[in-house]
Amino acid sequence: MHIERFRRCCVALLSVSLISLGMQAPAAAGVVGTAEAITAAQQRADLTVVRDALSRAAVRDQMIALGVDPADVDGRIAALTPAELSKLAGDIQQAPAGGDSALAILGIVFLVLLVLELTGTIDIFKKT
Amino acid sequence: MIRAALPAAALFVGLAGCAASPPLADGMPPELPRALELRDTPFFPQEDYQCGPAALATVLGTSGVHVQPDALAPQVFLPKRRGSLQAELIGATRRQGRLAYLLPGSGQALLAELAEGRPVLLLQNLGVRQIPFWHYAVLVGYDAERNVAVLRSGRRERQEMRWQSFARSWDRAGRWALTVLPPAVIPREAEARNYLEAVAGIEAAGDRRAAALSYDAAIARWPDEPFAWLGRGNVAYADGNRAAAADAYTRAAILAPRDAATRNNLAQVLADSGCIEEARRQLELALALAAGTALSATVETTRAQIEAAGRSAVEQCSLADRHWPD
Repeated sequence: MHIERFRRCCVALLSVSLISLGMQAPAAAGVVGTAEAITAAQQRADLTVVRDALSRAAVRDQMIALGVDPADVDGRIAALTPAELSKLAGDIQQAPAGGDSALAILGIVFLVLLVLELTGTIDIFKKT
Repeated sequence: MIRAALPAAALFVGLAGCAASPPLADGMPPELPRALELRDTPFFPQEDYQCGPAALATVLGTSGVHVQPDALAPQVFLPKRRGSLQAELIGATRRQGRLAYLLPGSGQALLAELAEGRPVLLLQNLGVRQIPFWHYAVLVGYDAERNVAVLRSGRRERQEMRWQSFARSWDRAGRWALTVLPPAVIPREAEARNYLEAVAGIEAAGDRRAAALSYDAAIARWPDEPFAWLGRGNVAYADGNRAAAADAYTRAAILAPRDAATRNNLAQVLADSGCIEEARRQLELALALAAGTALSATVETTRAQIEAAGRSAVEQCSLADRHWPD
């Protein structure tokens, strides 16, 4: 009984997400976008472009999971090429996320040194 | 007790210093000024973890787009990663109507860009390879005599870094360097393919006006570059201008007869224009070229559309009196 309800729920969810995927597909069917053509011509082994719609969905889910306001997600995804989306779908968790300030890093290094100093591991802050 | 820490310190220095970087003056091209600083570059002190939006607002400002980091943060910042990804800085650049052009990973390319008056957004790794601290900063100048790089970085409006330290931090981050270009502006030393990737990116983001202007500039500079013509055709097609699209695709196909995407797109616009017979012929070429590549599914879809159009075709070919590429 519960399983049946769960299954129905899954089917409904999946249908909705598939329908919405279809709606996000670019309107100009038939012609290959220049970005896609360049990628295809280079035949980059590292850029096996997963179906556009699939990587869009994967990036969308992960962005929301990483705290992006759902209202901002579509605009962010629409600004990327199929190859960029495909790559992002695979590495959004590990790709370099620039955010640290040099000051913060100096602070961390200082803290580490301070802890080592206080615990007596090192003795670089001369007290005499 | 300090003796215990020495091996660790030596290891740290060793890791940080893997890549040997020469001083700035070594191998500097004679045509470049010995020192240069783009003093008018705006400065936006970063808030916590927000060096991405701050650095992006800096380079956008120089290119004529005046936007605050706060307005860019919802377009690039990933809260749970406490930072911004390179791909999203690129995407946000396109959303401001600017091309995101990735420079080749050489120090000379950075200097040449500064010499043309454009500051460069870079990714730095201020940690070590094993424990990275990713940081975006903007290179605004250099001085070969004093061997320094001048940056807008974090909360510092003007940071001087010893050139080798700067170059190593950039090297540890994969030598990623971005410059922001208004449409149709091409760096003096640009590579055609790098530039066209930047234009194709803004086309994919839906800014057809910026893409059209930039493809036209690319065609003027590299008239034999097939992807410049393909791109121009794609924008014309999206604008509903079939004749211009067909002509541009034809030029692209003459320059790159074995490109499947070009044949596919030419077949599509021919079918749309009622030229079913020629559309079929171009599509056969596309099918053969696309076999086993990422484009094969797309070309199959085009074939189905052309066959459907062929069954209901009533209109005359509106693109007569043209020679189609073999």
